[in-house]
Amino acid sequence: MGNLWSLVLKEIKELVRDPKILIGVILMPIIIFPVMGSAINISTSSVQRAMITASFAIYNEDEGAPTDALLEHLYRNNTVITIEANGIQDALSKYQETNASTLLWIMEGYSENVSQGLKGELKVYANLKSLSIAEAGSTDAIGGLLNYYAYFLSIANINSLLEQAGAIGEASVVRSPLSVDYQSIIKGNVIDVAPSQIVSVIMSQSVMLPIMVMVMLMFAIQMAATSIAIEKEQKTLETLMTLPVSRLTILSGKLAGSIVVAVAGAIAYMIGFGYYMTSAFSFAPELTTMSTQDLSIGLEPLGTLLLGVNIFVTLVSGLALAISLATFTDNVRSAQSLTGFLTIPIMLPAIILMFSDLSMLPKTVQMVLLVIPYTHSIIASKAAFLGNYVLVLRSIGYITLFTLVVLYIAAKIFSTERIITARFTTFDMKKLLGRRSNRER
Amino acid sequence: MQYAIDVRNLTKTFGDIVAIDGASFTVKEREIFGLIGPNGAGKTTALRILSTLLKPSSGTATIFGNDVVKKPEAIRESISYLPEEAGAYQNLSGYEYLSFMAGFYAEDKESQDEMLKEAELISGLGERLDDRIKGYSKGMKRRLLLARAVMMKPKLLILDEPTSGLDVVHAFHVRQVIKEYADKKGVTVLLSSHNMLEVEYLCHRVSLINEGKIIAEGSPDELTQKFSAENLEQVFMEVAKLG
Ligand SMILES: Nc1ncnc2c1ncn2[C@@H]1O[C@H](COP(=O)(O)OP(=O)(O)OP(=O)(O)O)[C@@H](O)[C@H]1O
Ligand SMILES: [Mg+2]
Repeated sequence: MGNLWSLVLKEIKELVRDPKILIGVILMPIIIFPVMGSAINISTSSVQRAMITASFAIYNEDEGAPTDALLEHLYRNNTVITIEANGIQDALSKYQETNASTLLWIMEGYSENVSQGLKGELKVYANLKSLSIAEAGSTDAIGGLLNYYAYFLSIANINSLLEQAGAIGEASVVRSPLSVDYQSIIKGNVIDVAPSQIVSVIMSQSVMLPIMVMVMLMFAIQMAATSIAIEKEQKTLETLMTLPVSRLTILSGKLAGSIVVAVAGAIAYMIGFGYYMTSAFSFAPELTTMSTQDLSIGLEPLGTLLLGVNIFVTLVSGLALAISLATFTDNVRSAQSLTGFLTIPIMLPAIILMFSDLSMLPKTVQMVLLVIPYTHSIIASKAAFLGNYVLVLRSIGYITLFTLVVLYIAAKIFSTERIITARFTTFDMKKLLGRRSNRER
Repeated sequence: MQYAIDVRNLTKTFGDIVAIDGASFTVKEREIFGLIGPNGAGKTTALRILSTLLKPSSGTATIFGNDVVKKPEAIRESISYLPEEAGAYQNLSGYEYLSFMAGFYAEDKESQDEMLKEAELISGLGERLDDRIKGYSKGMKRRLLLARAVMMKPKLLILDEPTSGLDVVHAFHVRQVIKEYADKKGVTVLLSSHNMLEVEYLCHRVSLINEGKIIAEGSPDELTQKFSAENLEQVFMEVAKLG
């Protein structure tokens, strides 16, 4: 026990004091995410400012009561630049000298059309100077004003038609005759929330969970592979292997040390991501406050426990895999490129399951995905939220089995001379890949 | 009488390469025994087999009666191995490294402290022990590693080219430490070298190894007399020619 503890401690010291790991795994997520979040926040608030101060230009060619009513609506509360010109070409060149983002052209005959029950014709020109999101927002601003005006115009028209016909009724009802109230049933409880809202919350969860699992696994794998490769590169492995400690203890020390650092990395990542979410979406707090808890599909204690176990076995399996692979290399760079291949089976299920459900996929794709243990950990993460514990247990079982097999292999490799003699270099890998691509030709 | 090391008909191959080819030798307790030969002779391979890092392809090797294949754990309890290009954990301080290593051998805190005191003395690093190993020079690192290897007074000390790459002063110090441990503290030493003069000064007995075969064995004096040479270097050139 004492030996294992000192191995773990040494492992943690080595990893945490390595500036590359400290920066990449712990500091980066804590710094990068909040920075990203505030960047988004700054740009969204500039969009909002652009929308509020939306200034536009009007070139009017028409006269009449309907035109005056429209102009009065537009001039109220808005900064409007009036363009005086001879014809639209002249108006357009004059408009481009102003800093108004859009030009509204009220065409000749607008009033006549509106009074005769025809469509009033308008044209909007947007001057896209920087092709940014803020510009799109200010173009929307005039669209919003016009839609709003169109709604009241139509209500007024309906009212006068109703009056003419002597019919009883409400203009707004005529305009939209149905009222639909959407309700959802979850775990047998009817709740007064639209399913689309719930889906959007679940969506954010099911996007988040695969990303979390994936990121944590990648950290852990990099960590474990690096820690083995460093021993080889710095020539400390031989000494370590002649110490009076069982190889299994050495292996466990490596696993445990990597897990501790990976979990610290995951926590840093979560803290960083939390900042990111709150600062990026601070203009719409309801997006972050509505959680699965409010929808009564949150985690029960048992679910939390199972989710934790699931993530733990997933981590251990990735670490064992990384360690087994890294023993075949003799330096950090080749270890990292070799374990880089593990990204594929980890990313694949995460990305696929982010956008769809397993049952929606073709049978063969399902089979391939189900062989990959990481598919199970993602499915289990979702299932834990929905209280489907059987599925979670199945996943834990499968991953544990997989982990035991890999651990057995890792322990075997550790107890043979392979760990000393294996010299798989980046050069070998290039040869291997090069040969394969030659054959393909 | 039981030998500290008993190697019989040892062969080790890596694919087509025969690194050790039917070598036999014995080392008595408290002896300093040198395995000498040119680059690629098979010295490191032999020492790695005896340190339980590699498994022999055929033949046997025992250390204090324990077979390297059957009882590697028992052997690891009684040996300490200094690999030829060993390094130390860059991000630990010299002191942390030593106390990490001592922890595996010490029964209690007291004996651990004893080992550390010993190691401090041998390493001669003084205050620098508190610095990260990252900043050590080659010679400092080698002395730290030697201190690591000897501090627990193992029954058998296996040193692969203990002074390679060291300047005269550092090499002299390392040789003194080895001699002192063998003579005064009852440690058996097996070392490899291609520095014949060093071996002549240090070793009670030597084996000349070339292309995986033991080509001569005896005390430095015996060998120089037998081949009527001035020193081991001449002996080696003579024997290698014959073989
Ligand atoms: N892991 C390995 N894989 C393949 N061949 C190896 C391996 N280790 C050693 N060899 C080969 O075995 C032979 C003996 O090597 P060894 O390292 O034992 O020599 P040495 O006497 O220690 O040489 P030096 O004085 O240069 O250190 C060499 O031909 C070497 O190439
Ligand atoms: Mg060698």
